[in-house]
Amino acid sequence: MLLVFVLVPLAVEAFWVFWPALQGFYLALTDWDGVSAPRWVGLGNFAELFGDPIFRTSVLNTAIWLVLFGGVSAAGGLGLALLLLRERRGVGFYRAALFTPVVFSLVATALMWQVIYQPDGLANRLLGALGLTGWQHAWLANSSTALYAVLLPALWRQLGYVMVLYLAGLNGIDPVLYEAATLDGANRVQQFRNVTWPQLRSVNAVVLSVIVIDSLRSFDVVWAMTKGGPYHSSELLSTYMYATAFQSLRLGYASALAVVIFVLAFGVIVTYLVRAFREEAS
Amino acid sequence: MDNAVLSHWVTTEETRRALPDLARRAAPWLTRRRFLAGMGVAGSAAALAGCATSASSGPVTQSAGAISIQSNLSAPQAKASIEALAKGFSAQHGSPATVNTIASETFRTQLPSYLTSNQPPDLYTWYPGSLLNGYAKKGLLLDVDEAWQTMANYPAAFRTLSGDGAGKLIFVPTSYYWWGFFYRKSNFAKWGVTAPTSWSGLLELCRALQAKGVAPIGLGAGGNTPWVASSWFDYLNIRINGAQYHRQLLAGQSRFDDPRVAKVFEQWRTALPYFDQQGTALSFQEATTSLLQGRTGMMLIGTFFADAAPKDTIPDLDFFQFPVLDASVPLAEEGPTDGFFASSRTAHRADVLAWLKYVATAPAQELYIQNSSGTVLPTNPDARDSGTPLVAKGRAMLAAAKEVTQFFNRDSSDALQPTADAALVRFIQKPTELSSILTGWQAAAEKVFAS
Repeated sequence: MLLVFVLVPLAVEAFWVFWPALQGFYLALTDWDGVSAPRWVGLGNFAELFGDPIFRTSVLNTAIWLVLFGGVSAAGGLGLALLLLRERRGVGFYRAALFTPVVFSLVATALMWQVIYQPDGLANRLLGALGLTGWQHAWLANSSTALYAVLLPALWRQLGYVMVLYLAGLNGIDPVLYEAATLDGANRVQQFRNVTWPQLRSVNAVVLSVIVIDSLRSFDVVWAMTKGGPYHSSELLSTYMYATAFQSLRLGYASALAVVIFVLAFGVIVTYLVRAFREEAS
Repeated sequence: MDNAVLSHWVTTEETRRALPDLARRAAPWLTRRRFLAGMGVAGSAAALAGCATSASSGPVTQSAGAISIQSNLSAPQAKASIEALAKGFSAQHGSPATVNTIASETFRTQLPSYLTSNQPPDLYTWYPGSLLNGYAKKGLLLDVDEAWQTMANYPAAFRTLSGDGAGKLIFVPTSYYWWGFFYRKSNFAKWGVTAPTSWSGLLELCRALQAKGVAPIGLGAGGNTPWVASSWFDYLNIRINGAQYHRQLLAGQSRFDDPRVAKVFEQWRTALPYFDQQGTALSFQEATTSLLQGRTGMMLIGTFFADAAPKDTIPDLDFFQFPVLDASVPLAEEGPTDGFFASSRTAHRADVLAWLKYVATAPAQELYIQNSSGTVLPTNPDARDSGTPLVAKGRAMLAAAKEVTQFFNRDSSDALQPTADAALVRFIQKPTELSSILTGWQAAAEKVFAS
């Protein structure tokens, strides 16, 4: 009887998660328009990926995204957490303010930033007021600025999230360690390097996973703001996958893109975790 | 620890210990290894081919109830019109109709899901073309021949347009509209300019407007409406190479890197300096605002833009025809047609056909026009349009055309549209990269045609 508590969730999970995932792998090997029966093409979709210039652009953009989005949010989040760690007057307000963007829906965030980026929007007016008219751009319509213009709102949101993760990690460090370090004459930098950073290892693993997963699945903010345009200049793997699936109705090829995204995310995270566990064991 | 808590702890602890034993008793065959093996079998390719990728078929039980209309008419005035139509239908026919308004982009991407679901919506607003023909081939669309039997007065062209290419009628057209260079009469008067009739006249007008500090040509190919740029491509192509070549090109029978296509862009290039700098940054709705506020002089756009414009500006609107470039090319105009189609899996077949017959009547089309901005033309020849000079001029322009094209995506497919968006927006921003743009467009188009 009690077995039900194990088997029912497992069946639900299998039906709603494993099954569609396996279907995705199967579809990646077919040609499917979403209506008629899928046609088996073997590895044809993956072969096509190699010669696809838009795929190359989106891989490059995803790499840029991963580095900037991941790097800035990790470094910035840690910095903010260190800054806001100690209980001071008004610190709660700052923490809450930085965390607020996480609460907003990304589509709402995108709409707000779209207004900021309008040709006569806040960003350009601000530059104009500073006398920097030469720096004014149609931020989202310009192929050289679109990707970075979309990155900013995504970062704006992620920073608060990573900050909270690090705050939790920093609060978990035993103060005795700092006392000992101080007694041994360690300065602030040495304390950070030899106490804080090693103690944050488990949090770092979580942050890395979160960042890699979040940047590979970054979709809503890009789709809502540029749809990967103009002419694919802000295309990420995720937006290209969506466009291929639901605009071009090439669901087989889109599934192949999804498999690539999965392999990338899984690969990065597993490599890190294996290394982390090995270090811990030795 | 008090007694209640203690006894609770004991029971849970007991259960925990008893669990593995229970499991063995319930399913003695179920070891971990066997279970995993079972999962593996369930995941085999044969099983995978089923389920999510197949659409159900078979006869549908008919039932009573409201018919549902999936509508992509989200502009305020168009939405009010279709809701008025639903009310009119209920009043006349006695059975209700409910309208679900969905943003156009969502509507388009969800269409396959709607049509293949177990209980699809009954009716859909849409346009004829390759997309529908594809669904018709798969048996997803209702044969609407019965409705057409009440439409004997319709011109043959609409009938041809509503076929699935295999002899079946699947569409009921209810309205059509035209494209042109729209402007505000009061603004042209204020600037002391008049509508041109030739390409050189158009460029002259642009120079005059530019001298007055007005961006001559608004575009609206930014935001979520990059497809608006295709109107320029369509018009230049039907003016330079003719409608027949245009259709062949869009059907994949000619190449986008063909010199004839390059000629289209060479012509376009001469007007590019007069395009609004923000042409690819603003959506057509925002570009409409710019036009109405006199920041841009004119805009090549379809009459649907008026559905989002303040009603008091509509009498001030006028348009001129896209200039003829080569008198030897048969005159063609863009005249996109809109209407309804129905799902073959509808549970309200009789009511659905009653709806289609209703919207094809002259009174229903007049009701629609009265509630909208009044800039569309009725497909029923006996229906009166809004009667404004603007509409009379538009109607006359389409009537004089030897050929009528629908629009880029309607003449080709919604899958080809994004390839045009990428190519055209890039051309507008970087006209010097033309040859690589055309090669890229051809490569992208080939993939669409191949799938």
